[in-house]
Amino acid sequence: MDNMQPIPNQSETTPFPEGEALKNQIQWRHRQGLAWRLLFIAALLIAISSLIALLYNILNDSFGYVVVINKVDPQRLALDVVEEQILNTANTVSSEDDFELANGIANDSNGIGFFGIAYYQENNETLKLLAVDGVMPNAETAASGEYPFTRPLYLYTADAVLQNNQAANIFLNYLLNNVNSEIETVGYFPATSAAYAAAQQRWLSANPGLGLQSGQWVSIEPDGMAGTIRVVGSSTVFPLTQHMLEQYQEAGFAGNFGNESVGSSAGLAAFCSGQADFAASSRPIQSGEIEACRNNGRFPLEFQIGTDALAIVVNNQNSALNEVSTEQLQQIFTTATTWNEVNEAWPAQAIQRYIPGADSGTLDFFAEAVYQTSLASLPKDDLVRLLATNISTGRGRALEREQRFYESALVFEDPATWNEVCAAPAGERPSGCIAEPRTQEEVYDLLLAEVIQPDVVKVYNLQNSLLNRTAIATEAAALYPNGEITFRSWLSADFITDPQSSTPEFAGVRTAIFGSLWVIFITILFSFPIGVGAAIYLEEYAADNRLNRILQTNINNLAGVPSIIYGMLGLAIFVRVLEQLTSGAIFGAVESTASANGRTIISAGLTLGLLILPLIIINAQEALRAVPNSLRQAGLALGATQWQTIWYHVLPSALPGILTGTILAVSRAIGETAPLVVVGASTFITVDPSGPFSKFTTLPIQIYQWTSRPQAEFRNIAAAAIIVLLAMLLSLNASAIILRNRYSTRSI
Amino acid sequence: MKPNTSFSNGSVAVEAKEMQVYYGSFRAVKDIALKIPTKHITALIGPSGCGKSTVLRSFNRMNDLVASARVEGQILYHGSNIYDTHVDPVEIRRRIGMVFQKPNPFSKTIYENVAWGARINGFKGNMDQLVEESLRQAALWDEVKDKLSQSGYSLSGGQQQRLCIARTIAVKPEIILMDEPTSALDPVATLRIEELIQELKKQYTIIIVTHNMQQAARASDYTAFFNMDGDRAGYLVEFDNTNELFTNPKNELTEQYITGRFG
Amino acid sequence: MATKNPATPLMGAETNMNDLTKRPRIGESFIQGFLFLCGILSIFTTLGIVYILTTESLAFFTRQQWENTNKPIVADITPEETVLVVGDAGASLIEEDIVRLGEEVMVVQSIAENTITVLRGQQDTIAVSHTAGLQLFRSNTVTLSETITTTKWIPQLGLFGIWPLLLATLMTSLIAMLVALPLGLASAIYLSEYASEKVRSMLKPILEVLAGIPTVVFGYFALTFMTPLLRSIFGEGRVEIFNTASAGIVVGILIIPLVSSMSEDALHAVPRALREAAYGLGATKLETSLKIVLPAALSGITAAFVVAISRAIGETMVVAIAAGAGPKNFELGKDSITGFVLNPFLAAETMTGHIVRISGGDISYDSIDYNSLFSIGLLLFSMTLVLNIAARYFVSRYREVYE
Repeated sequence: MDNMQPIPNQSETTPFPEGEALKNQIQWRHRQGLAWRLLFIAALLIAISSLIALLYNILNDSFGYVVVINKVDPQRLALDVVEEQILNTANTVSSEDDFELANGIANDSNGIGFFGIAYYQENNETLKLLAVDGVMPNAETAASGEYPFTRPLYLYTADAVLQNNQAANIFLNYLLNNVNSEIETVGYFPATSAAYAAAQQRWLSANPGLGLQSGQWVSIEPDGMAGTIRVVGSSTVFPLTQHMLEQYQEAGFAGNFGNESVGSSAGLAAFCSGQADFAASSRPIQSGEIEACRNNGRFPLEFQIGTDALAIVVNNQNSALNEVSTEQLQQIFTTATTWNEVNEAWPAQAIQRYIPGADSGTLDFFAEAVYQTSLASLPKDDLVRLLATNISTGRGRALEREQRFYESALVFEDPATWNEVCAAPAGERPSGCIAEPRTQEEVYDLLLAEVIQPDVVKVYNLQNSLLNRTAIATEAAALYPNGEITFRSWLSADFITDPQSSTPEFAGVRTAIFGSLWVIFITILFSFPIGVGAAIYLEEYAADNRLNRILQTNINNLAGVPSIIYGMLGLAIFVRVLEQLTSGAIFGAVESTASANGRTIISAGLTLGLLILPLIIINAQEALRAVPNSLRQAGLALGATQWQTIWYHVLPSALPGILTGTILAVSRAIGETAPLVVVGASTFITVDPSGPFSKFTTLPIQIYQWTSRPQAEFRNIAAAAIIVLLAMLLSLNASAIILRNRYSTRSI
Repeated sequence: MKPNTSFSNGSVAVEAKEMQVYYGSFRAVKDIALKIPTKHITALIGPSGCGKSTVLRSFNRMNDLVASARVEGQILYHGSNIYDTHVDPVEIRRRIGMVFQKPNPFSKTIYENVAWGARINGFKGNMDQLVEESLRQAALWDEVKDKLSQSGYSLSGGQQQRLCIARTIAVKPEIILMDEPTSALDPVATLRIEELIQELKKQYTIIIVTHNMQQAARASDYTAFFNMDGDRAGYLVEFDNTNELFTNPKNELTEQYITGRFG
Repeated sequence: MATKNPATPLMGAETNMNDLTKRPRIGESFIQGFLFLCGILSIFTTLGIVYILTTESLAFFTRQQWENTNKPIVADITPEETVLVVGDAGASLIEEDIVRLGEEVMVVQSIAENTITVLRGQQDTIAVSHTAGLQLFRSNTVTLSETITTTKWIPQLGLFGIWPLLLATLMTSLIAMLVALPLGLASAIYLSEYASEKVRSMLKPILEVLAGIPTVVFGYFALTFMTPLLRSIFGEGRVEIFNTASAGIVVGILIIPLVSSMSEDALHAVPRALREAAYGLGATKLETSLKIVLPAALSGITAAFVVAISRAIGETMVVAIAAGAGPKNFELGKDSITGFVLNPFLAAETMTGHIVRISGGDISYDSIDYNSLFSIGLLLFSMTLVLNIAARYFVSRYREVYE
């Protein structure tokens, strides 16, 4: 009886497509459907990708390589302090001439000193070489770096010199050819092979006329070469250059040479000003020196020609000392006066120190290697002294009036003037009269800002920094040879704890964060009780009459009013009409009513309070509506009054919902910018707000102002500030979600 | 006891074989074997929750719209299983139309309500004529011919349901599924729909789910009685000629149900 | 009260149980009064907004700006004289002009050759003697028609034509709508009709995050991402650093979540039965979504669109940062409409952008600039209010149909 009919062929009788036509029609409709579906997904993806682009852009601007040019090298400042200490220690003889030092120690049984190891080799009968941390300096320990005080020796010259002075050019070729075989005779050690190859390469690039490929090398005979070669600089390098110049002459150089031992710094200065063809240096050239060279049209080229192991030597007669540790060296050259203070086994006799002078690269090296001081770790006194020597007294006075350096002492200001200035009535006297003195960290920050003045001259975004690292390094080196390329996180602990600053490198968001918190505090204080109260009225008490319907409609409409209109309301009402109140004048918060200004935290907080009030009311109403009616009836049936029922039963069960709604409304307030601009957020304040009557700025305001600046670095700190703001919002919203979850698990 | 699933004369419009319907892991309907006779009215009755609506909705793959629903077994329509992967539910629904529990006209004009289904299905004839014909068949034409451009919502409940029937027959289906079509209507409107259904069976095979035993007895030719077992899975208890089923039930449960002792 | 029953410690047990008259509960009434005040505060907020905006706008249209006519009086006059002998130099006066000599305000009644007849001591000033050579100042007030009919907004020159600001606002809003409406609606359709519950629960929060990002961040995004993008596509020569296109697009992006969530609500409110009816007729998913569900949700979607327009018009920070920092003044008949006036790649300051820029600077409260901001605010407020009321109307319509 399975008499199922086949599908009747109705194509003649029905106007609908049948059979193949129907299949095709349906297929076409499905294809259409698929196309539209893809369109819908695409729309959603565009919306989502714009969020991704936004976040990506923020991250891209918040981190990345920067090229920083320090006006003053911070390490230099730190060394200055240490060197000053070393040089000022009693019983210290200093000289730029290492021969003098060697002689001094040779004639003093309590003498100790340090210089390039070549000077020891020359005087090894009268001097005794000490092991440092158990290691004796020799070719092996120097090459392996085991000996702590090994350092490269440099010769600096410039393209211009090599092109214009063939005598100098060929000398360098000769030197690079022969220095490795000659250097041990002088007493130093060869440079690493990599450094040696790099030096040869550099010479080749300076002589493109030879047509040599990299990796090739040529040695040119100086036969009959005339001309003059002037070398000036480090006393450490001096024996090596002197030896090589003499060899050069023997090899056939027919011209003259001059070689002066004046210290690395003096040598580089002379070279940069064009007074010499080569600068010999026992330390790398510094950014400031490069700058000086470039200003004279000389672009310094670096050639490492050898390695020194700084020799610590005592008199040959000194039998007690055979080795010292780095810590003992620190004491010997500064704090200790007699040997036995350093080590009880040593004689109770006064230490006599023979050290290179302030111009010497050797002293720099010794100070850096032995004392390992960084500027940030120096004591406050040293930092203040550095500041005092590097800024004008006028600027110092201004800084001191802003905030003192010491509780009881003045650095820049004359005590009489200070007392006079601080006798002025509050409000007119400078903040330094009452503020806490600056801490070591604050002085350090000041030193950074006033003296070192790191200037970010070039910013690379994160994507570039990660993908094109080498290209960035090359470009930065070419454009800013004296710049330091570092990876900078614009969002840092300092950024969060520092106050506002006019230089983006030092600007922070502390003032803005405090401002935001204060404003939000006032906002919540104002809008939460009133909003919840209004919601209770509308949900629990209000009869369905005309007034209450108007009330509800009005609240709904208020929620749609642009925020900037609230700003105008706040400006007109809180800032102007209620100025005496919002400036705190009637509470005596400002001294003279003339200086009263309503553009304060309380005005801003109240404005935002009005702004989010409708949101809080609507959210709270929803939460109250979700409370089952049975709860109210149960309360009332027990004889509770309506308020008791609300207070003890309805509110507690609606509270999580109310709080969630309030948090969402508050996060809206935190991000609001326009109304606060209108109400009058300060454009630039560095002082933390102290109460509701303070002037203020907030995070969004900062972001707005920084975004509006043309300089690139402001964009970076705007991005960093956005991250801070988003993190704040995220944590708020997370707490809302936690509340919501707790609420929903409890109610089930 | 195996229920009688056959009928003596006529052809089969659609047949369920070993059909099971699951919602997630819950088996809502089990082991349904049922043949629906062509151009007759078949009523599906049973206590609430017994899966009669589920069975009805399986006949035109409306259950596809429920994400968790899954149909096993076969529903044969013109010899092929409508749940085969190559079968398009769109075509099935065009051939097996449906009228729902509550009148659900589109928020369009009366005219558009009727014309829309035909239009999307590629109707190429005279639309005005089709609309009029459909409305006449649904016994609504005289009441609405002057207000075809008014919203479908402007009609009364009974009229709306007839509009939904008109809209269904406008696409010329072969089978019309009716899911308690009168449950939301007053007795007068119900009567009119019942009369209409009697008219429609001349051209269409009709399967109607009803809550109302009198309606099934009054208006159907065949009746299938469903019940649910201990796992709350619905199954077919008995299928027979309506007269036979109501006057001489083979199954004790059927008897209990039609005499109102449970359900 | 000596027969106090210790078994009923409840309050009121000792009172006469027959006395069930309502007693006033001071505490309850006080609380209710306070709650009422909380509710009524919103009315005061609205009244405050309306009052402030209208009074300041009135001040804008009535404030006298004294403009030197450079026309001197050539003869001394006494307080009683009403005929002034004036020089040839300077701007000419007409009848009804309000003029000022020194501190004294006068109204011009008639003008003859070299003389004008005036009413002395007007506007609470006192008629005094004036010496020859003193120059006449003429009072100038901004008129409503001037505001509506002129096309330059230059407060320093006393030019207050609203069109440059209004056009910029309309342009950014229009661009925003072109972005937000299709994207928001399509997203809503996808989320409501197509996406599975799992996909929906993954994608919706992303849109919510987008909605929760402060607008100033979008301003930054417009300036640092969208503008460079537009400039790289259309050429730096054609696209200015500040431009309405970039601001408009980003405003659009920031409104997408609003459009999408309101539209989704509307789509969601369409009863399932309607979808089933469509499927039952053999409709595909697309046909059901676009031709049945979408029209049924139309009023709700319209409401979403209207609210979105209102948001776009009132949006401030994005346009303040990215659209331009000065009104794009133009001259009808002189400046090309499409090439300049309506060119989205040029900078143009919107109404909100202008309010923020001017009030963010050092603005004197007693100046026409200050007043002018409030009249812009009044226009803004009225526009958004009308739109919000319209949206509410549409929302209530779809609620009526399905609830």
